[in-house]
Amino acid sequence: MNNPIVIILAATLALSTSEVSYAHSLKKQGEAVQVADSNMTVTPSRDWNRLRGKIGKQTESWTLDGGQLNDVTFFGGIEPGKPLVKERSKKHDPLPKFTETTLLVEVPELLEGTYRTYKELAAFTLGASAPTKFLGRDGVRFAYEFTDRDGLTRKGEAYAAIIDKRLYMATFDAPRLYYYDRAIEDFRKVAHSAKL
Amino acid sequence: MVSSPIVLGVSLAALALGSPAFAAPAPLPPPYAGAYQPQGVDEIGMWREDDESERRLALSPLVIRDEQLTSYVKGVLCEAVGTDRCNATRVYILREPSFNASMAANGTMRVHSGLLLRTRNEAELGAVLGHEFGHFEKRHGVERFKSQRGATDVMAWAQVLASMSSSYDVRRSYQNVELSVFGHFFRYVRDQEREADLVGIGYLNNSKLRPQSAARIWQNFMGEIEASARVRGLKKPNFNTIAFTASHPPQGERASYLAELALPEGANRDDGAERYRVIMKAWIPRFLEDQIKLNDFGGSDYLIERLADDGWTPELWFARGELFRTRGTQRDLANAADFYTKAIEADSSLAPAYRGLGLSLLKLGRSAEAQDSLRTYLQLSPDASDAGMIKLMVPGGTAQ
Repeated sequence: MNNPIVIILAATLALSTSEVSYAHSLKKQGEAVQVADSNMTVTPSRDWNRLRGKIGKQTESWTLDGGQLNDVTFFGGIEPGKPLVKERSKKHDPLPKFTETTLLVEVPELLEGTYRTYKELAAFTLGASAPTKFLGRDGVRFAYEFTDRDGLTRKGEAYAAIIDKRLYMATFDAPRLYYYDRAIEDFRKVAHSAKL
Repeated sequence: MVSSPIVLGVSLAALALGSPAFAAPAPLPPPYAGAYQPQGVDEIGMWREDDESERRLALSPLVIRDEQLTSYVKGVLCEAVGTDRCNATRVYILREPSFNASMAANGTMRVHSGLLLRTRNEAELGAVLGHEFGHFEKRHGVERFKSQRGATDVMAWAQVLASMSSSYDVRRSYQNVELSVFGHFFRYVRDQEREADLVGIGYLNNSKLRPQSAARIWQNFMGEIEASARVRGLKKPNFNTIAFTASHPPQGERASYLAELALPEGANRDDGAERYRVIMKAWIPRFLEDQIKLNDFGGSDYLIERLADDGWTPELWFARGELFRTRGTQRDLANAADFYTKAIEADSSLAPAYRGLGLSLLKLGRSAEAQDSLRTYLQLSPDASDAGMIKLMVPGGTAQ
């Protein structure tokens, strides 16, 4: 071990392994993976990147080209009384909460309120919502569109279900121009593959 | 460069003399100098950047492109500052829920929809727009840029000098200089705001609008902040303390000096409330919807109640119902059901109110009434975006 080359190699290896735990990671095609620190698993139909940052306690974000261009976020069992994403300040900037009385039909409004409050937006429009199956249960599928402060209009689609008083949801946001249409089918495949 | 803090200090002293107490009405604005062109590299560069930013703004999806609304707001600006002055500006109304307006150095005026929701008449709107125009006429943008550059230059040199000698005394002196230079800069910016207030109310004194409205805006805004803090369980805000980095004077100070600066004879003038109400009738429900979805229960309820000073409309009852249902405690749901019912009594064709009523009643355990209400919602608006979901909740309704 006195050989300096060995020491340098060992140090490089140690650095590179410690980097792995902080880095983005690859979710490979066809491999079932647990998401959002929950018992929800999905099987991607193509390779996706998992982003390292977390916007909330029980969330996980995936992307193809970067979070600004296509963003899939999983919400893995939000408990009653909790917001969807982490609040900047519980006291000064509270976010709308998912509650025991929140109905499935109100989940789109909950997401809308969260986006508007978190991003300080006014330009947010909910689109059509319809019953669907998500995680094998009765769920809701809904569309939305918003213009962020960067002046870019994004479209979104989400699938949600309330199971045992917890909210499970997968959302997809991408710029309306080009990126949404390009990746929406890939997202739908991921959402349809979700299981508990 | 190093001499700039002295220049800064002198100009601050001059401004500070004028700022704390205004005993008399604001002076009339000086004659308008005509179309101004930028001078010197700083200003020319700044205007170019603003031109570029305005070019992007003109294409932005956030701009509300309604000719009538935009020309009305521009008209109020012209009424406040005079026609010759207002021709130097372009007004853009942005769909942003915050209480704000801004003016770029090249004459681009951005008015947020949240401002139009909060002002109640032409005089109040004119006061805010006049304040922004005051920044423009006094060239505050470029002065602020120069002051900021001066302050950072001083700090850069002080850092170099301080690093040459590594004693604790030098370090402490450096920190003192840092506090003092940045403190002066922030104060300079606040004094610019005070000067813009002074100029703005000068325009209003000279116009046909009621200058007393300027102080009113700040009183109302303090009421809103207080209501918002109360519901969030925060301590009562102090409207007279100034934070070190504050960019504006505190609201309490502004309300009191604006009241003093207003021309007493102007108190009987028209404030244009009726004209404002007519134009905004179609817009207020939309702007209010943007506000109530911001999860600021206290502030939003305060705004709704103030709008209702002119009488409750079905849209206001509906907005209040939505606000209470969104917070969603059992107590709120009972109130929400009551508000939706009032909205329906005033306008029996207001479909979303039936939806809100149905959902509130459902959570209150009154299923039969809830289903009746949801059924009416579906009859009134069969193509609603959530019709498929609502049908699931009504017996006999079929899912898509």
